[in-house]
Amino acid sequence: MTISENLFENLRLELRRGCLALAVLAQLRQEHYGYTLRKALAEHGLVIDESTLYPLLRRLETQGLLTSEWREEDKRNKRFYRLSSDGEEIFRQLLQEWHEINTSINSIL
Amino acid sequence: MNLLDRYLQAIKKHLPWQRQDDILAELRANLESQLEDREYELGRALTTEEVQAWLKSMGSPMQVAARYQPQQYLIGPTLFPIYGFVMRMALAWIASLYTVINALQIALGTPTTHAIVEAVLRAPVVLVSAAAWITLIFAAVEFAMAHYPAQVQSIIAPYLDWNPAALPPIEPDTAPGKKRRSLAHALAEVVFGFIGLIWLLLIPHNPWVVLGPGALYLESLPYELTPVWFLFYWSIVALNLIQLIWRSIDLARGSWQRPHPLQGIVWKTMGIVPPILLLTAAGHTFVVLKQGVLPPSAQTLATLDTINLSIYRGMMVVCAITVLQLLWDIAQFALRAYRK
Repeated sequence: MTISENLFENLRLELRRGCLALAVLAQLRQEHYGYTLRKALAEHGLVIDESTLYPLLRRLETQGLLTSEWREEDKRNKRFYRLSSDGEEIFRQLLQEWHEINTSINSIL
Repeated sequence: MNLLDRYLQAIKKHLPWQRQDDILAELRANLESQLEDREYELGRALTTEEVQAWLKSMGSPMQVAARYQPQQYLIGPTLFPIYGFVMRMALAWIASLYTVINALQIALGTPTTHAIVEAVLRAPVVLVSAAAWITLIFAAVEFAMAHYPAQVQSIIAPYLDWNPAALPPIEPDTAPGKKRRSLAHALAEVVFGFIGLIWLLLIPHNPWVVLGPGALYLESLPYELTPVWFLFYWSIVALNLIQLIWRSIDLARGSWQRPHPLQGIVWKTMGIVPPILLLTAAGHTFVVLKQGVLPPSAQTLATLDTINLSIYRGMMVVCAITVLQLLWDIAQFALRAYRK
């Protein structure tokens, strides 16, 4: 990887990091477990590595933005996540921020 | 399946023990679902190679487990600038003190090559140990900040507070094209200043440090120096001592990049003192015949006169050059002050 490719990769990851949390919060307005959440996001064009998404879910839950429960589905215990009431409020604020940034960027472009 | 079990087992070893079963159960459920999906899409079970490639794409067990750990810093971004500053200052001071102490020990004892080499080789060990202790202390503060943020914040808040009005004025030497003095430069000035001072102090009893083997020849000559040279010598020692103290204070205060604007003028003014003291010698006599040299030949007396005259003229030239330099510096300083 050249220096410029490396630089692009770092900036791309930095740009994606915040957006991923927003996308996960948005998708978890409906209940999902890890794998189906990943598939749902991928269907919308947002591919996330397993090793990124699953720890992110844990972190968002620790921060009180998600709630989770273990439930059996297809003869297998799975942990289902959804947005908590605090998460809904934070999501609303983040979404507004994202719209503003998006509008500004479009305006600059 | 065996490979997946082995993969999960390897991940487990790197997970925090309080949550490892919970995390692993969730990870297993997700990965098994994913595996089933892929096998359903293909209409067959994955081969060992395909499972290997799939697991490899997810990252090594240690990397995967690390993502479940909270983000940790040995020294975080809040403390790091302070850590960097303290490290630079401490290492500069330790290097200076180490040089001074060892130079003194060597100068006062028996100066041998072995002692000097030993002191030089020991220096990196001393500096690395100091750096390790500083890092350890800052890591402990970082740990405390992460675990007891409220208490630590209340302690360190006054030290992190700053006042824009207390910022130093614009430095004249930051003008474009002018290079700023580096810490290494300031440090070298202190270290070499000290070594120079030790060298000066060694001269009276060890003239060979100036003249080398020529000291023996000087000893055999029928001439000796008059007491005015001792005045001259001690004024130079005092001048070097003042410069060394001033530079050390600049270094200690972290102001080596912005020495006082009058510093150069003060030093040049003081620099005129030793030659002037020499010129005050009665009858401009700097060298006399040694006691007991009888009778002096006409050639010896003629050489003596030539030596005294040469020293006098030489000192006059030195004084004239120094005064001219001083006047030039004063004019430049005045011009800068006027432009401001």
